[in-house]
Amino acid sequence: MAQKERKNSTGGTDCRQNRTILGRTIFLMAVFGVLAFVPLLWKLWQIQIVDYRFYQEKAISQQTRDMLVTAPRGTIYDSQGNILAVSTDVYNVVISPKDILAAEETKAESGGKKAAKGNQLTDAESAAMAGRYQEFVAEGLAEILGVETDTILKRMENTGSQYEVLQWRVDDDVSTAVRTFQEENGLYPGVYLLPDTKRVYPYSSLAAQVIGWVNVNDGNRGAYGIEAKYEDLLAGEPGRVVTAKKNDGTEMLSSYESYVDAQPGLNVQLTIDATIQSYCEKALADGITSYEVRNGGFCIVMNPKTGAILAMASSPNYDLNQPRSITDPVLAAYLEKVQNDPSANEDAYAEALQEAQYTQWTNRVVTDTYEPGSTFKIMVLAAALEEGVVNQNSHFYCPGYKIVADRRISCSKHEGHGGQTLAQAVANSCNPAFIEIGQALGAEKFYQYLLDFGIIGKTGIDIQGEADNTNLVWTHDYFTGIYGEVSLATASFGQTFRLTPIQLITAASAAVNGGHLMQPYVVQALTDQEGNVVEQTEPTEVRQVVSESTSAMVREMLYGVVNGGTGKNANVEGYRIGGKTGTSEKRDEDTGDLIVSFLGVAPADDPQIVVLIAFDSPTPVVPGSDYTSHGFYISGGNMGALSAGSLIADILDYLGVEKVYSDSSYADVVVPNAVGLSQADAIKLLQSKGLGYRVVGDGAAVTDQLPAQGVSIPGKSEVVLYLGAEKPTEQVSVPDLIRMTASAAEQALEKLGLYMRPIGVTDYSDTTIATEQSITAGTMVDPGTVVEVQFMDTAVQDYAAIGNISNIH
Amino acid sequence: MARKLKRDLTVEEQLARGPLDLPFLMLVLLLTAIGVIMMFSASYADALYNMDDPTYYFMRQGLFAVGGVVIMYIMSKINYQTLRWLSVFALVGSIILLVMVKIPGIGASGGGANRWIRAIGPLPRWQPSEAAKLGVILYFSARLSKRNTEKKRHFNKRTYSGHFLELLDRIGFLELVPYGVVLVIIAGLLLLQPHLSATILILAIGASILFAAGIRLGWFAAGGAFMVAALWLVVNTTDYMADRIAIWQNPWTDTQGDGYQIVQSLYAIGSGGLLGLGLGNSRQKFLYLPELQNDYVFPIVCEELGFIGAAMILLLFALLIIRGYWLALHARDRFGALLIVGITTQVAVQVFLNIGVVTNLIPPTGISLPFFSYGGTALVIQLVEMGIVLSVSRQIPAPKAG
Repeated sequence: MAQKERKNSTGGTDCRQNRTILGRTIFLMAVFGVLAFVPLLWKLWQIQIVDYRFYQEKAISQQTRDMLVTAPRGTIYDSQGNILAVSTDVYNVVISPKDILAAEETKAESGGKKAAKGNQLTDAESAAMAGRYQEFVAEGLAEILGVETDTILKRMENTGSQYEVLQWRVDDDVSTAVRTFQEENGLYPGVYLLPDTKRVYPYSSLAAQVIGWVNVNDGNRGAYGIEAKYEDLLAGEPGRVVTAKKNDGTEMLSSYESYVDAQPGLNVQLTIDATIQSYCEKALADGITSYEVRNGGFCIVMNPKTGAILAMASSPNYDLNQPRSITDPVLAAYLEKVQNDPSANEDAYAEALQEAQYTQWTNRVVTDTYEPGSTFKIMVLAAALEEGVVNQNSHFYCPGYKIVADRRISCSKHEGHGGQTLAQAVANSCNPAFIEIGQALGAEKFYQYLLDFGIIGKTGIDIQGEADNTNLVWTHDYFTGIYGEVSLATASFGQTFRLTPIQLITAASAAVNGGHLMQPYVVQALTDQEGNVVEQTEPTEVRQVVSESTSAMVREMLYGVVNGGTGKNANVEGYRIGGKTGTSEKRDEDTGDLIVSFLGVAPADDPQIVVLIAFDSPTPVVPGSDYTSHGFYISGGNMGALSAGSLIADILDYLGVEKVYSDSSYADVVVPNAVGLSQADAIKLLQSKGLGYRVVGDGAAVTDQLPAQGVSIPGKSEVVLYLGAEKPTEQVSVPDLIRMTASAAEQALEKLGLYMRPIGVTDYSDTTIATEQSITAGTMVDPGTVVEVQFMDTAVQDYAAIGNISNIH
Repeated sequence: MARKLKRDLTVEEQLARGPLDLPFLMLVLLLTAIGVIMMFSASYADALYNMDDPTYYFMRQGLFAVGGVVIMYIMSKINYQTLRWLSVFALVGSIILLVMVKIPGIGASGGGANRWIRAIGPLPRWQPSEAAKLGVILYFSARLSKRNTEKKRHFNKRTYSGHFLELLDRIGFLELVPYGVVLVIIAGLLLLQPHLSATILILAIGASILFAAGIRLGWFAAGGAFMVAALWLVVNTTDYMADRIAIWQNPWTDTQGDGYQIVQSLYAIGSGGLLGLGLGNSRQKFLYLPELQNDYVFPIVCEELGFIGAAMILLLFALLIIRGYWLALHARDRFGALLIVGITTQVAVQVFLNIGVVTNLIPPTGISLPFFSYGGTALVIQLVEMGIVLSVSRQIPAPKAG
């Protein structure tokens, strides 16, 4: 070993001392070389391994700045690819009062230098040198933004702030003007345009309740409709830019950046067809005006084969671009009344406004329930035919009422329909007959069909907020129990229970499409930004409710309703339209108000569309009256059917369904050229086309004709042949045809050399009167012009009077 | 001077030309190299931001490291026996320098303390406390190595004072007086700066040499008890120390204030995990962790190299320390042994205290990490000390074959 010190006199002690040094050094080696490292390693292990997650999260949260990159929101298309909702890039106009204040100095300085050199000053510099820089900026912006200069100056007073938004989401022309103003005068820093997005609805109010809107006050999340229901898919995933930041908040090195790309939102393609939707909205709006409807209405068009919703309109309607303003005339009038009511306070107005907003945002087709009335008889009929408890040969007798338990339930026709076949009972919408049908079916089976037709519960449509009507329909035990007798009777004609309009049209579609209950849907497909289909909605059959043959019988009987029954006002020559009228009491309100509706099926032999249109509370001329001030009898047959007829015709026309004329007399004929022919040849030609003729003059050959070649006129109309005589060229004034019978109207027009094309009811009885004409009375037109005239049969009385069975449960 | 032929050398001179201890040299070079590399990685963000030059600390540390290694080599060539007579001058010189920091015009202050001799000419400003450590090591080793050769003191037993002194001598007190005086003077001067951590370090170095030299254990017990009592008193009477203890116990109570540094240190260490973020990838160095080029360089090492890397560096330190004591055990003479014990203990205590502080194992005191922390004086003196160890290692006789 070492320590070979020279031996000295105290050799023994020296040796012992060496051993001491040796031992103590070894001790130090053990302590500092080994033991001291144990707690250090243990502590590092604790921090780096055991508590790793804890420290890592803490560290990362302080080290990184996580910026969200908004994902572009998906576009909403209609079935034809028209854009219903789209997000566009817009700008917010922002000022920094602090920077503007600072800029005044620098501008004045640079202006001073320029002036010293004799250079031209900019406006901004001159203003700054005059101490009017803020005013200069404020005036310029005020002019562009259309606000008061003082308002902007007031915002500029807040000189501690660097961020004052003057205007949110300005249009392109405004932002361009601001940018020009900013660049021309070198207003940066101080005036900024910050990018933002804005949801634009090109069709404004079209399908407003279906589409819904985006709430800028709620982080641009969808409120109502598809925008809300498909929020997650439309919104996409916002991207993130995670950057490492220094402790002073600034970014240090780009190498630590990490990107998570924004996942753009998916586009939603609806089954809604903008054209059909616009027809529906127009029909609703027109009807509401004509029938003086107080509570709006709704209209749905469904493809019965798939359950796809082609149109879904609710009234009152609103502009999606300004969802908070009230544009519906009825609601606006009501609000004005509240506002001008001296006894009402400000709160009352605010409350009324809010209520009106909720009303117009509500898609009542799926969120509200109502008593369907006679339109529901379609399902009762289908069930009874399917179960074989009635058939086409069944006979019913209607004395005008029916006694059920201790109740007397009257028919819409108080004097009674008398004896009738099943088809006639359907056409007459006879309540006693349907009570008998319901009874024949029995409560147990009836209830089973309620379930099978989806009348209890939800349809599962892909729209937000579908109401569940389970509590608004009887329970099975009640319905089939001893107290259920009256319920069964009233249910047979669609009263004393409530369902959503979408349930009704879905069930009715099943009754006419061969018995298949389809799940209704409004979203056709989801596509990505490149247009690739991500998800396609396939029609979903919930169950088969009735057989094809039953369905065919139902269709035939519904056709009978429009052809001579309560729905005759829905008739359109050339189209086979079936349907069922409905007039239901709003028993929950006890005001005597009615909901008038019509459920149409067309073409009746192979339905392409099922239409449900309803008006809520037409105003009677005096309370309790059956007529409106315009003379409309308040019922589904007179209002719903009338509106539905032309609507269905428009839709079928748009869909390209060929008109089929059972009686060629009404088919339009294109006038052939008779000029130059001999009188005999001309007459032969016209007759071969099914046209009448009248001869003016006594020449040998036809020199002129009215109408001219190529004009399309109704069949059997007279063509005037001029044989040498001068054709009158003077224009004539269209007469007022409203409330005339069909024959009177035709005569009035013929006298003036005009032609009539009747629309609607065409059995020219005395009760059939004109309600509308395509060319306003007094308009000057050329002879030979065709005037379309809408007729309606005022004799249709299908009002289900059930007043004396109220308070059942 | 022409190189003497081997046959002309004295035995002493021949021994001094012996081979230096290669493992120890390698460990020193490895740690110095790693330290300089980590200095670059840890400091460049701070340097870029505060000094406008990302390599500010790295270049200086690198230059000092190169210079220090050269000096270390020269030192290892010098026969350490010459240090015996130099030791007194080293001690006196360092005490004078410690006094000078208080003299305006020579001393430089920073952070409320006067710890530096200001930059003069090409010499940068430096801390004389570093020199004081070496001074204490040299003086204590030199004096204690002659302990057994000292003549026995004789006292006049006829006087009471003689009796008393006799008693003091017998229990070994008299022998301790010069060491005690030196330590009290130096500790007093350091506390005046104030520089608590250096005080602790010097007391620990002194104690370790005294301990190794064979001073009776009772004195250490007494000294230890005295230190504990003093510490207890300080902690309980001054708010400053009480606050430090409170922060140590729970740094989370004030993460933005007093606890900020230790919390940031823990974030750095913890987010390193097992394998670390990779060399150069520390995030905490971006102005979060203050003093990261000085006392808090190790957390960045942990963050970048992970537990594995940190443990490897601890292992290198442990090997260096063990090899140091091993060399002490084999040293040719007692002086060499004690020198190495002092130097090795200094390194060990600094490593323990520094890493103990940054991991919040012990209450915070500002002690730098050898070879890693920024500081030219410290690094050069560290390498000078390593040179002394190597010089001692040269004179270790080779084990006899067989």
